[in-house]
Amino acid sequence: MWYAEVVLLGLTVGVLVGLMGIGGGVIVVPALVYLLGFDQHMAQGTSLFLQLPPLGLAAMLVYWRKKQVDFWAGAMCATGFFLGGYYGSAIAIRLNSRDLKGAFGVFVIFSGIMLWVKSRLPRLEKNTLA
Amino acid sequence: MRKRDRQLRLFLILLVACVVGVCAGLFGVGGGVLLVPLLVMLFKFEQHLAQGTSLMALVPPVGLLAFLNYAHAHEVSWAAGLLIMPGVVLGGLYGSRVAQKLSPRRMRRVFAVFLIVLGVFLITSAWILR
Repeated sequence: MWYAEVVLLGLTVGVLVGLMGIGGGVIVVPALVYLLGFDQHMAQGTSLFLQLPPLGLAAMLVYWRKKQVDFWAGAMCATGFFLGGYYGSAIAIRLNSRDLKGAFGVFVIFSGIMLWVKSRLPRLEKNTLA
Repeated sequence: MRKRDRQLRLFLILLVACVVGVCAGLFGVGGGVLLVPLLVMLFKFEQHLAQGTSLMALVPPVGLLAFLNYAHAHEVSWAAGLLIMPGVVLGGLYGSRVAQKLSPRRMRRVFAVFLIVLGVFLITSAWILR
């Protein structure tokens, strides 16, 4: 029964990932906490684990063919994620689960606000780079 | 001169990605949720270019160091992680097809509101109700 729930959760997260063009972590972590009763740390570690393989590769290739990828900017971002992730996770492991859950809540609200702002921007934006 | 501008821009992108990477490791998420709006707002990326670049940055296992920190602290559920992966890939294929037919702005707004409500819920259950 537990297995069926987890597989269904993966499918649901995948649909959202495809729709929004974002990684699934923001959804996977709270889903593991509330639906499967995971501890906050365990949910975050599992989320990082399942994002190790390039799950977004197929989607990325679609963008690549349309020349909608800035390779060097992407390489810089990958480097920053790699190094920053080390320090972020070191901080997380020292926090207790309750504070980490609350901080995650703040992060999720901030992400929501950023998404909302972004959804208002495209009218003003022109393709200034490329 | 133009070359120097480009190098400076790449350096600034690296700095921003480091900060996003700390958040990613701290909260066990991919980072695309923050990276895409930041590329649009701070570096004037066109929306599709930002999404494609973000997806490219997440193709290498950038969360590896963060993941190893969690694994070392025994905070990873291997079974749940492995069971969620195939669903994310399959769901992602379906979701990205549906996304072609929907207004991405509207979808993002619905998702933004969902995230804000989720964040309030997380904060309440972590810090207010115990």
